Amino acid sequence: MDVDVRRRAQVEVIRLRGQLRLGEAVDALRAAIDEAVAAGNSKLVVNLAEVPSIDSSGIGLLVKAMASAKQRGGTLKLVNPNKFAIQVLRLVGVLNLFEVFDDENAAVDSFV
Amino acid sequence: MANNQFFMDNLGFRELLNMSIPAEQNAIATVADAVADKLKDLSLAEEKQLEIGLAVQEALANAVVHGCKNNPALTVGCCVMSDQNGSVLIAVSDPGPGFDATSLADPKMQENLHADHGRGIYLIRQLMDEVKFERGGQEIRMWKY
Repeated sequence: MDVDVRRRAQVEVIRLRGQLRLGEAVDALRAAIDEAVAAGNSKLVVNLAEVPSIDSSGIGLLVKAMASAKQRGGTLKLVNPNKFAIQVLRLVGVLNLFEVFDDENAAVDSFV
Repeated sequence: MANNQFFMDNLGFRELLNMSIPAEQNAIATVADAVADKLKDLSLAEEKQLEIGLAVQEALANAVVHGCKNNPALTVGCCVMSDQNGSVLIAVSDPGPGFDATSLADPKMQENLHADHGRGIYLIRQLMDEVKFERGGQEIRMWKY
């Protein structure tokens, strides 16, 4: 999985490419989020546009990261999860925990 | 791993793949991707491929993490079969202590919604049409019709 992290207007934008699943992919995203939060950046946007599938470890990481960000005054928002990712997030009951955007700029702007 | 009785119980299914991997997280993708390739060969609907693929990923992760405690000296097995109607049967096994599949917490309960684990078996049950646990939880068998 590719993890691309950019900072835009005080918001950490994390773009993912590939399956978000147990192992290297989840480890890479966890490292990116931990680094951002440790640096004091708790406003997180995770762009899932190029993620075909998310497993339960990826869901667990997103949920935990959102809680961690909220504790620090921010949150974690999702951009462009595909139909299957939305189905899976809904199946396990966490879809409504997240703000979901279909546009990355809108997600970043929503923090302002 | 799947034994002769297993195949006897599922006459009409032919084996598409039978793999074993060391019980380490980064080995899971090897099997999951091989299964995805086989599903693609079957020309199943994309949605069905995704659902089976994720169920396999979850079963393998469960076997590696919980069954084998991430011990690469142990081995996780995966067998994929299909029949002429496009039904798919997958068995994933590990040599661990097993578990009681009836005692798992419901991840959709309010107190579990924010947990970072505990959704894998629930997801498998939602994504597949039939799921059975054998040998005290050491093996999961799952069907998609």
